[in-house]
Amino acid sequence: MDLEAFARDLDRLQEEAEAAFARAADGDTLEIARVEFLGAKSGRLKQAQKSLSLVDREAKPEAGRRFNEAKQRIAAAFEAARTRLADRGAEAEAIDVTLPGRPLVLGRLHPITRTIREVQEIMARLGFESVDGPEVEDQWHNFEALAIPPEHPARDPLDNFYLAVAGGTDPLLLRSQTSTVQIRVMESRRPPVRIVSLGRVYRPDTADATHYPMFHQVEGLLIEEGTTMAHLKSVLRLFASSFLGGDVHVRFRPSFFPFTEPSVEVDMEWGGRWVEMGGAGMVDPAVLEAVGYDPDHVSGFAFGLGVERIAARRHGVADIRDFYRNDVRFLGQFGERLR
Amino acid sequence: MIVSAAWLSDYVELPDDTDLLAERLAMAGLNHESTSRVGDDAAIELEVTSNRPDCLGHIGVAREVAVLFDRPLKLPDPQPPEGPGDASHCIAVEIREPRMCPFYTARVIRGVRVGPSPEWLVARLATVGVASVNTVVDVTNFVMLECGQPLHAFDLARLRGGRIVVRAAAAGESFAAINHRDYTLAADHCVIADAEGPVALAGVMGGAESEIGPETVDVLIESGQFDPLAVRTAARGLGLASDSSFRFERRPDPAMVEWASRRAASLILELAGGTLQRGRVAAGRLEERTTAIPLADGRVEQVLGMPVPADRQRATLTALGFVEQPAAAGGTLWLPPSWRRDVTREIDLVEEIARIVGYERIPEDVTIAARAVAESPRQRVVRIAGEVMVAAGCYEAMTRSVVDERLDAVGSPWSESPSLVISPPLVRGADRLRRSLLPSLLEAAGLNAAVAAGRADLFEVARAYLPSGDFSGLPEEPLLLSAVVAGDYAAAKGLLEAVLSAEGLGLAAATGSPRLVCRQIEHGLFTSGRAAEVLLEREGLGLFRLAVLGEVSAAVRGMFGLPGVVSAFEARLDPLETAIRDMPGIVRPSDYPPVERDLNLVVDESVPWASVADSIGSEAGDLLERLRLVEVWRDDERIGPGRKSLVVSLTLRSHAGTLSGDEAAAVVERIVDACGKACGATLR
Repeated sequence: MDLEAFARDLDRLQEEAEAAFARAADGDTLEIARVEFLGAKSGRLKQAQKSLSLVDREAKPEAGRRFNEAKQRIAAAFEAARTRLADRGAEAEAIDVTLPGRPLVLGRLHPITRTIREVQEIMARLGFESVDGPEVEDQWHNFEALAIPPEHPARDPLDNFYLAVAGGTDPLLLRSQTSTVQIRVMESRRPPVRIVSLGRVYRPDTADATHYPMFHQVEGLLIEEGTTMAHLKSVLRLFASSFLGGDVHVRFRPSFFPFTEPSVEVDMEWGGRWVEMGGAGMVDPAVLEAVGYDPDHVSGFAFGLGVERIAARRHGVADIRDFYRNDVRFLGQFGERLR
Repeated sequence: MIVSAAWLSDYVELPDDTDLLAERLAMAGLNHESTSRVGDDAAIELEVTSNRPDCLGHIGVAREVAVLFDRPLKLPDPQPPEGPGDASHCIAVEIREPRMCPFYTARVIRGVRVGPSPEWLVARLATVGVASVNTVVDVTNFVMLECGQPLHAFDLARLRGGRIVVRAAAAGESFAAINHRDYTLAADHCVIADAEGPVALAGVMGGAESEIGPETVDVLIESGQFDPLAVRTAARGLGLASDSSFRFERRPDPAMVEWASRRAASLILELAGGTLQRGRVAAGRLEERTTAIPLADGRVEQVLGMPVPADRQRATLTALGFVEQPAAAGGTLWLPPSWRRDVTREIDLVEEIARIVGYERIPEDVTIAARAVAESPRQRVVRIAGEVMVAAGCYEAMTRSVVDERLDAVGSPWSESPSLVISPPLVRGADRLRRSLLPSLLEAAGLNAAVAAGRADLFEVARAYLPSGDFSGLPEEPLLLSAVVAGDYAAAKGLLEAVLSAEGLGLAAATGSPRLVCRQIEHGLFTSGRAAEVLLEREGLGLFRLAVLGEVSAAVRGMFGLPGVVSAFEARLDPLETAIRDMPGIVRPSDYPPVERDLNLVVDESVPWASVADSIGSEAGDLLERLRLVEVWRDDERIGPGRKSLVVSLTLRSHAGTLSGDEAAAVVERIVDACGKACGATLR
């Protein structure tokens, strides 16, 4: 075969291919044309490539060059057609942009969990490690080690959930405070100690808008040499400023707890007024002795916050029983929010 | 404790500004609840902590005011004139149970005329919310509210046998109280009896029989000390709490036993006439404390973190009634007043100084040393579980740890032992510590269904309580992640797999340690044949049940009103804290192209997918990048009865180079062979 015949066939192929691609009105006809001209096994361009071997030996380099040129043009024509059809497709499928997106359903963490995590994170920045402990406790950890002797009213059977065990003299009980965990940690570590214990606690109470017999506490404990009430006040102020935002002051009012001395109620400035946030105090020397620490050498402070109360106030929940109804229409409302 | 402003001003001059008064009292430990006007008077309600029985009387509150405002305190000194006749001729007193009653006194006034109280007394009592009864009863109430020592007045003529016996009640003994109701007493109750039977429940309430009435002529005034525990046991056990029991539970000032008795006698003589018999009849001993408390110099600053000058400390303690004793160098020594039995240690003295000097003076800007804190394994495991569940569209629920019999009966995947029981119940009927979260979550899902709340896939992270073998130790408290979701078994399993994978354990990762094994189980919670357990296999520790999952049985769904197919899982999170010690290193993705092959493997119906997957995985080794089950189909005609076809899609890829078609074909052939040998699979 001479070069001229090869080139003529090639030109016709190129013309026909360009025309077919230009004619294609949709993806299907373009695909048919693609298979006809550019098919990998038996497309016409492939056949033209095969006939290249029939060209006279001395004309082969020129024939090869011409073939490559045609191949590039045909490929370009195909690309042009494909781009054209793709653009037109977009035009054709103009949509109502106000239609809703494909829904992505996200769940939510419980507001109590969110509040606990926030407190934990702030306290972690102040060097307090989160710890956890059993909810069913013995009387040593729930009472004695916390300087609550057997005749103390706080141990009354009507004020605690004791486990009913036949014949037991010192029945176990559902813990009434998370200070139990602090005792467990102090029993197993030497000072310095800086922890927050948190979790469910239980006290008999008739459930109403502000009371529930099961609730959550976060309690902080710091035991280090030379700790004073000024440290307690400063840490609580840092906490309050982080939690509520801005430069928040705290106020102490005298109070009484068996395991701290002095004991105080802690108020924080919230929404322009003093709001009671929890109790605090210097760890009672009797408690330090109970866990084998020497009160002449170390001192420390402890504080406790009621999680439900804080969460209810932060989110404007009027009835804390809603936290335990688990209605998703309630739970679904707790997203990230600014303070 | 409600105090009357007019009454307080009998003992101390009050500031004109009642708000300032309330504020200062609150900042010194008497929390202000409210102030309301009653006629010309103001009723100030104060919260008194249980360590301050001295403030359960007007004098105690007045003393605080005097200290806070630096004003003198004026107290009455009752010296009632005694007439002819000895009290001891009228009555004999015997204490049989000194543990319940260490000290008892009786005074006798003969010839009273019991009538209505004068206006000033009625008004005082009205301000603090106490109704007037008659002169004698009103005087006992007045004196209690004045000094905190409860009193009782008996009609002497009604005391049989001329004697008072303080003793423990006989179990089952009956007593008619002043409220005209009958009570059955127990052996740990203390009674005041006459020669024949109980006439008062000691420290709690008087009896109807010996009540003071218009016909009363001779009055016996009781003033004593009763054991707080005995008083509380009786008051709470019988549901008879009174102003008296409230005070005795908190140990009133022992010095007031005598003072109150004389004060009452003096007022009765003044208001109801009569003749006070000489002396008093007493039994037992009044315990007196004489131990002084040392206060080291510098201790106050050491605790409070602020300096308080020595003379300020001394002035404060002295004003509060502490008496300084001679002390060695380096400190001072203080004898507490009788009304402050709560102050026994140096730290208590520090608190007294702090609350009077003012906590507002404590600095709030001292620095604390930085300390590094890492997220604990438990926090991490719980956080990851929550992240996955929330991303999967589940809401976190919080349900009660204590369930009723109905929920308990639904069962637990963790323990067959009976649940631990508490008393009293948490809420009505709920007295069992739960062994699984699933019944509570199913109930919550049911409540959402009942209010048509919409899609309510729920999860919870909480503890269950599993009875330990012997009752001496604490129960086991596994930390559980539970979920209840709409959909079939695969929905629950997909969620569980996602959680375990995020926690570092892949259900699909069949090899390596720790290894997970999924096995079919039967459990009442789940539909038969559609439930499984996931076991964690750890080297040297054997198989451990990590989770259960399945489609919730129709019976359980019916119980909670759950429409449609619902699935659930419950997994233990606590083993995950230690199961994954070393997260596997990151593998750089291969740069070489993959080879995709689909296989249609026909196996007997009884062959589980896990066996086929294991065979493929172990034969293909590192070359297997992904194994996906595309579909399972059955066709009696095309593949025969009792057979199923597993359409799997393999992605093979090498880290060493491009897999050639021949190499891939060889791997696939080996895989098919392995599946044939291990599972009887044939290629269709």
